[in-house]
Amino acid sequence: MSFSQKIDEWMKEAEARPESAVMIVKLVAKRLRDLTERNEELLTENIALQNGTRVEEYQKRIAHLEYQLDLLKRRFGGDESLLAELPTASAATSTLSLLVYNNYGRVFRIEIDADIEVPGRVVDETLQSSEQPRLLAVPSNEEVLLLFTSGRVSTCAVSNIPAVECGGAWSWNEAALPDEPRAGEFLACVMPISRLPLSEFFLQVSRRGCVKKTLSSMAQSVLGNHYLGKGTLQKLDQPFDVTLCMKKDLFAFVTIEGKLLGLDVNELSYSAEDRIKLTASDYVIASFVPNADESMLFVTQTGKVIQRESSSLELSKSSLAKGLALIPPSRLEQGVRFVGAASVRNEDRIAVLDSKGSINIHRAESILGAGSVEADGLILSIGVIPAEAAS
Amino acid sequence: MSIKVGIDFGTSNSGVAVYDGQRVRLLPVDPKNVIPEVIKTVLYITRDYRPSIGQEAVEHYYRDNVNRQRRFVKQWAGEIDVYGADMHYVRDIYVYVDELKPGRLLQYLKTALRKEGYEGTQIFERYYTVSDLAQTYLSLLKKRAEDVLGEPIHAVTLGRPVKFSESPERDHKAQETLRHAAHEAGFKEVDFELEPIAAALDYEQSIHEPQNVVIFDFGGGTLDIAVMRLGDPNQRQVYASGGVDIAGSDFDRAIIEKRMLSHFGYGQVKYHPEIMEMIHAIPDWMALPEMGTPINKNILDKAVHAGTAPIQLKALQGLIYNDLAFTFYNRVEAGKIALSNNGATIISLEDKEVALWELYTRHQFETDIDHYLVDVEKVLLETIAKSGLEPGAIDAVVKTGGSSNIPLFTEMLTRIFGAEKVKESNTFTSVVAGLAIKAKM
Repeated sequence: MSFSQKIDEWMKEAEARPESAVMIVKLVAKRLRDLTERNEELLTENIALQNGTRVEEYQKRIAHLEYQLDLLKRRFGGDESLLAELPTASAATSTLSLLVYNNYGRVFRIEIDADIEVPGRVVDETLQSSEQPRLLAVPSNEEVLLLFTSGRVSTCAVSNIPAVECGGAWSWNEAALPDEPRAGEFLACVMPISRLPLSEFFLQVSRRGCVKKTLSSMAQSVLGNHYLGKGTLQKLDQPFDVTLCMKKDLFAFVTIEGKLLGLDVNELSYSAEDRIKLTASDYVIASFVPNADESMLFVTQTGKVIQRESSSLELSKSSLAKGLALIPPSRLEQGVRFVGAASVRNEDRIAVLDSKGSINIHRAESILGAGSVEADGLILSIGVIPAEAAS
Repeated sequence: MSIKVGIDFGTSNSGVAVYDGQRVRLLPVDPKNVIPEVIKTVLYITRDYRPSIGQEAVEHYYRDNVNRQRRFVKQWAGEIDVYGADMHYVRDIYVYVDELKPGRLLQYLKTALRKEGYEGTQIFERYYTVSDLAQTYLSLLKKRAEDVLGEPIHAVTLGRPVKFSESPERDHKAQETLRHAAHEAGFKEVDFELEPIAAALDYEQSIHEPQNVVIFDFGGGTLDIAVMRLGDPNQRQVYASGGVDIAGSDFDRAIIEKRMLSHFGYGQVKYHPEIMEMIHAIPDWMALPEMGTPINKNILDKAVHAGTAPIQLKALQGLIYNDLAFTFYNRVEAGKIALSNNGATIISLEDKEVALWELYTRHQFETDIDHYLVDVEKVLLETIAKSGLEPGAIDAVVKTGGSSNIPLFTEMLTRIFGAEKVKESNTFTSVVAGLAIKAKM
């Protein structure tokens, strides 16, 4: 049917029901406006193509892809000529760094080896603040992403953070400040990003259990604009952690009052949504991607360890689940609180920071076997040192 | 305590209601729907065989499927024996299967009950008979109703059209399939009531003196008519009933065939039988997904490359390979519904490769479905004649079902019976309300 025939039919409708004429004119006018706008967009695009702006944009995109490729090569190694082009990376290939950071953006980097048990201690009263320092073990040739509570992100190479003396005592004043938090914001977490090209999503979790996933294909835009978003719904909520994962992965987080919630990454929303109903005093203290062949380890402030098989993780479908209670309410009333959780294998090691500032490294196998962690004081936080990273 | 409910297992929408002897309670079985008491008759089954129904199924489908990746693998499907004059050999048959397909969305389950030659469908590694599909839907519906009521449901009065099919054998088979499915879904007692009679029982609640009433139940799958004496439960009588396989889905099909196919290359592609087959599959919701093979994609790519209606064939490719078919059918249906109140509407679909826009008027719609009007009027007048009543002896004509709101048919009823006799009822809930009343009898 030709367009003129269609117009004839519209006219017939207008003749049969004159009140339809107004509606037809409105609909056609709206279409005309939309097409005009589209035409302008196409003309703009045409100009961008002609004057080279678009070419520049694609060049930037290519540069970013090359950057991602570099990250991959550094992660998985490459041929001799490639390694020669990446001297900083090759120099640091065999070392492992333990990062200890606080929410003011201060970071200690300690280079550790496979045998070390006491990397050092932090001497500072800020350890007593409500936001506990956190531990992260990464290869020294890694690149890390810093997520701030405003939703801002930045990246930095681990090797660019000055290392402190192993076995020493350090004050936060001596700690490096890779990217100083801006007014009103704090450092929420640090995440290694060399797996970025191989992952499908950034997965954020907030202090109040709000979860959001973002396609990692948008990494260029995220890193370019230095903004990932807060991933929260409530004004007073703050981002807690971000991790990289695949569509088929599971995701779990644990609260200070011992509520465990398992989620299917595939079913999560791209917009922030509350996934757990928390009491007023409860908040998230750990999140991780459990693997099928690993155990989930949960640590209380007194050093008690609870172990669960990853396969036993129950997935929540509800948008406001209560989560699985790890301890009975009577223990909560006695003051037991959780300070850390992770997915571990027997051969991994666990770094433990206590309230005296001491950092001790234990074998996961011995912790799981004993059912407790020994520490000088109350435990503040833990970090997993994967076996393959240490070797 | 366990109770008996009424269930309207409709072609497009379903519902559950319960009657306590005083008032009918429509159960909000689909809280995500705009009208929670109405649930879409759609079923989504994931690759790990987890089913969902209603709006949840629709959301699940959209979340998993739109613009997803595909990966086709060649899979052995069976073998065929080939006999020649003096030879016999066996040949293997292979099909291309999308191994990343996350699930299957099924709609028009009720139509499948009566569709000739349709016994069931393969969903991943399992074969679901028509009865299995209906059972899966009904068991989830039952569970939701039990959650609302907070007590178990042991029995059900199911609605059925006056004629599932013109063929008595197929009609009987469809009812028995539905009965079997209901039993399998966990209903210990199952009985049936004709849908127009159920709608009549609901209407009877609102009248205070005996009347001769025509129930005009025009839904998504069939038109059902009943001529009844109502108003006094002791003298309730069905004078005649009739029906025909014409309804909303036929009108959707007519719109697609007459107005939409040109957007996908119809009239511009002439010498490509494979592409013509794909275009002709568009109105058929069961056939279209089957077109999404790598061979067809290759054919479309080549035609686009050769400059054969590239915009239209890209749109066809988008429709098939971006899983936009369900959205497309919904847009067409929404356009049709809008024309019940407006003189014109827009049917549009926009995606990466599809930019469909069609201004559609009521005049065009009425032209497109004009031939159905003749059949509908014929069935109506035959049913009235069978009842032994003259149109003048009819006191009220009660419209129910989504298609009964189409002005063309309202005008027909007004012309035959007079405007004052044509009564509106609750379009989507009068049948289920009547079924609940029947369940209590």
